[in-house]
Amino acid sequence: MAARRVLKAVLVDLSGTLHIEDSAVPGSQEALKRLRSAPVAIRFVTNTTKESKRDLLERLKTLEFDIAEDEIFTSLTAARNLLEQKQVRPLLLVDNNALQDFRGIPTNDPNAVVVGLAPEHFNYQMMNKAFRLILDGAPLIAIHKARYYKRKDGLALGPGPFVTGLEYATDTKATVVGKPETTFFLEALSGTGCKPEETVMIGDDCRDDVGGAQNAGMLGILVKTGKYRAADEDKINPAPYLICESFPQAVDHILQHLL
Amino acid sequence: MLQLQAAGRAVRAMAEWAKQLAGIKGVVLDISGVLYDGGGEGGGVPIPGSIEAVEKIKASGLKLRFCTNETQATRGKFVAKLQRLGFNILVNEVTAPAPAACRILKERNLRPHLLIHDDLVPEFDQLDKANPNCVVIGDAADNFSYKNLNEAFRVLIGLENPILISLGRGRYYKETDGLKLDVGVYMKALEYACDVQAEVVGKPAKMFFQSALAEMEVEPQQAIMIGDDIVNDVGGAQQCGMRALQVRTGKYRPCDEQHPEVKADGYVNNLAEAVDIIVKQLHK
Repeated sequence: MAARRVLKAVLVDLSGTLHIEDSAVPGSQEALKRLRSAPVAIRFVTNTTKESKRDLLERLKTLEFDIAEDEIFTSLTAARNLLEQKQVRPLLLVDNNALQDFRGIPTNDPNAVVVGLAPEHFNYQMMNKAFRLILDGAPLIAIHKARYYKRKDGLALGPGPFVTGLEYATDTKATVVGKPETTFFLEALSGTGCKPEETVMIGDDCRDDVGGAQNAGMLGILVKTGKYRAADEDKINPAPYLICESFPQAVDHILQHLL
Repeated sequence: MLQLQAAGRAVRAMAEWAKQLAGIKGVVLDISGVLYDGGGEGGGVPIPGSIEAVEKIKASGLKLRFCTNETQATRGKFVAKLQRLGFNILVNEVTAPAPAACRILKERNLRPHLLIHDDLVPEFDQLDKANPNCVVIGDAADNFSYKNLNEAFRVLIGLENPILISLGRGRYYKETDGLKLDVGVYMKALEYACDVQAEVVGKPAKMFFQSALAEMEVEPQQAIMIGDDIVNDVGGAQQCGMRALQVRTGKYRPCDEQHPEVKADGYVNNLAEAVDIIVKQLHK
């Protein structure tokens, strides 16, 4: 930590940090513009299981954020990269909307299993199919392991319980590709030429955004928007580098103190 | 000559665990994968030699108890199916999770939300299920849909003190058309989702084996368990102080013999072989 260098890269979470569903966090568009005037690389990192990169980009454009497609790094991208690296053919238990992020990847005669948030696939037959592949040696790749999420009609199971069940059935560990995994943060930086100790991450999820980034050697700033709940900052040790009301204040801190 | 040598080796290999059989008074048998393989037309096929092996135990004077984690049918229906397949088996010889769970639910005034197989539901007919204060999960097979699992999850997450009772904790079992996920997988899913620890009724829970032994009126060290599941049958019985053999039928996989935590007292090709050796030792 003593050898912390000058800041060169900023990672920004999307949902809950720049926008909440279809409305922008007030002042975020202007704050992003201010950040772009500084000599830092910017990447937008998100644990998405449902929305493809294109869906995300469209929403951000509608909200008038100035963001390019190649600046977005999602857990789906990370999963795709891993599949290409391992040269495997996945059984994709992901939402139909997410399929376009896997376009071009062969899926015939599968020898890998990818699990995202896909309630329509989490039936007994499909789970058995995935189980048998894993038992035969197919790697299990999880987009993330969230326990549950909030739907209009109440709480609903996330991918985590199903991944955990498959892990138990086959006595294996899934490779989790999204936040808070260290490899996710490092991969998001690849192409920027920046190192973790030259990077700050801004997000509303204390464990997945801030804790994950800090474990990867970055600074973490927690914003009190989105899913933030009082005392979330006590969930991690070491504590977040900084806690801000929202994204614009985080940007101001970076511009004033970290450059 | 070659055959004789092979037979000789087999006898020597048997001898290791067979030497330890002194004092055996009772045999506890797992059912699925030991007596028969489930699935397909008629609900399954007997494993060759197993029908005769059960008769042989009964004729030998050894006490016999069947100990199953089967929760896809009521105990009565399950036994009737086995009888149709040709087995000499009675309802009161079988220890099964659902009747044991019913006793626990009554004792603790619990009103269950059931995530179980349709054919097991009658086993819980006598219980009040309105306004549930716990979840009971069994091998629900096709009933393990996202919707049903979500309903169980919502009941649990809405309870101040969530109680999850799992009828067994098996990982998978074998049917004629392949391996199928068992209740343990979905128990783990709900445990993870709600940050709770399930109470297991069934193998490998100590209490479950103990109640089977009590029914037989034998002590753990006088009993030998025979099963196809290295963890739930063999490991569970050994934890309880019993000896245990693994059969190379049902869900058995060769890597089970190198299991990192559980080592069976002996491995046998099938129930018939195990019973032959046990009965022979008895008469020595």
